[in-house]
Amino acid sequence: MAKKILIIEDEKILLNLLEQKLKQEGYEVLTATDGEKGLEEMKMLKPDLVLLDIVMPRMGGFEVMEEMAKEENLKEIPVIIISNSGQPVEIDKARTLGAKDWLIKTEFDPKEVVEKVRNQLEKQH
Amino acid sequence: MEPNQKKREELLKRQLEVLNKKLKEKERKIALLRKKRSFEIKEIGKFRQALMNILEDVEEARRKAEEERDLTHAIIANFADALLFFNEKNRLSLINSKAEKFFSVEKEEVVGKSLSELSSNKYFKKILGLVGSEIKSVFRAEVEMKKNFILELTTINIVAEKTKKGALMILHDVSREKLVEAMKTEFVSLAAHQLRTPLSAIKWTLRIILDGDLGEINKEQRSFLEKTYKSNERMISLINDLLNVARIEEGRFLYNPVFANLASIVENVLKSYNEQIERKEINFVFDKPQEPLSSVYVDVEKISLVIQNLIDNAIHYTPPKGNINISLKEKEKTIEFSIKDTGIGIPQDQRERIFSKFFRASNAVRAETEGSGLGLFIAKNIIEAHGGKIWFKSKEGEGSTFYFSLPIKDKRQKKV
Repeated sequence: MAKKILIIEDEKILLNLLEQKLKQEGYEVLTATDGEKGLEEMKMLKPDLVLLDIVMPRMGGFEVMEEMAKEENLKEIPVIIISNSGQPVEIDKARTLGAKDWLIKTEFDPKEVVEKVRNQLEKQH
Repeated sequence: MEPNQKKREELLKRQLEVLNKKLKEKERKIALLRKKRSFEIKEIGKFRQALMNILEDVEEARRKAEEERDLTHAIIANFADALLFFNEKNRLSLINSKAEKFFSVEKEEVVGKSLSELSSNKYFKKILGLVGSEIKSVFRAEVEMKKNFILELTTINIVAEKTKKGALMILHDVSREKLVEAMKTEFVSLAAHQLRTPLSAIKWTLRIILDGDLGEINKEQRSFLEKTYKSNERMISLINDLLNVARIEEGRFLYNPVFANLASIVENVLKSYNEQIERKEINFVFDKPQEPLSSVYVDVEKISLVIQNLIDNAIHYTPPKGNINISLKEKEKTIEFSIKDTGIGIPQDQRERIFSKFFRASNAVRAETEGSGLGLFIAKNIIEAHGGKIWFKSKEGEGSTFYFSLPIKDKRQKKV
């Protein structure tokens, strides 16, 4: 059964690119363009992994993680954050909130994303 | 006539003559005295005139001096900058109206006092902190009087015949300049941040195409796309540099120092350079120290940035088949890093500006048109923030050696 990946990213361009790449790799991809919608999808569709952008309008990545930690059926879902700035402060905070791994937008390439996703999903078993 | 009478007449005549003579003599003397007196009167007149002239000149000179003094006072009083003069006993002897305004004081309250005596006033206290009670010379030191009110302080010691006669203090308001600088930095920060997203999108798209995910591409297409990818990478790099510079200027360039071994940091950084070194056929040597180094207390990410920048420069500006040598030496109180290349070197007349923001030496620009000129500026900031020093030796056409030193925080005990 194909693994479900939820991508929460407000920049449509990047969202589409990630979606396309992951679909190509055989994953089922769910998308959301802000934190609130992302949480709703998480509750409804229970993805196996979440790729989470940090800086988003209304509800950002950190808040999403805080909400996830409160819910029983959400807190187990692994999160890989996508950081725009790559600042250590941001990444450290994400890790404290439970993020399993991180990506920096301007430094990674599609192959790296796929690798990190694959690694995380393998760890879950 | 009787002969006696004649004799008497003769006698009288003679006596009369003598008296006449005497009279004439006296008259002559009087006439001489009169002449003398009139001469002296004239002389006195001349002296008087001369004295009057001197008095007039003195009056004129005094008037001119007063005019000049008034003019100088007017200049000092209305001077756009704050002026204060401390006498040879380091007591305030002059303060202009701008200074009264800056320090929120009245002239009468402060004249005659020393800086220490004045330091109950919080503004004077700040100045005391910078120059001390002996008022040492400073040039354009920044003083934050209060929020958004920043002054530039210069003190000049007036010395005559090897003794200090006093100190002149000038305070120039730079609040507006600082505000504009802050706005500019914020703008750069914002702009750079916004630019990251489209640059990431381009990077991704190109990567996906180049990886063949959207179908096969021919050689020509690949070649064009790779060039675009590289350009984009350079833009990303420049944006990162700009953001770092903005952060440094805003004081947001935070450091998370830990105890670390500089040799391990260097080795780590070198891992990502193998491909570049091979491609350019550079003879690369890392002179690793035999004994383990003492620890330094550094932000590993930032120091890695510095090492990366220095290696980048060495590789970019060294022609193929050149040499690059990195070495680490433990000194008395510091660890010293050096990187020596056989590259284009730095021209003598441009050495002063190598660490300046956006500066690129003319021969560097000729060799490689890209390059932001920010790398060394950032490197210098980082090293100095760690309490270290960065410097270089160079000869144009032969190569450069860049050095930096970092203070040792945990001295390893040397085995005897």
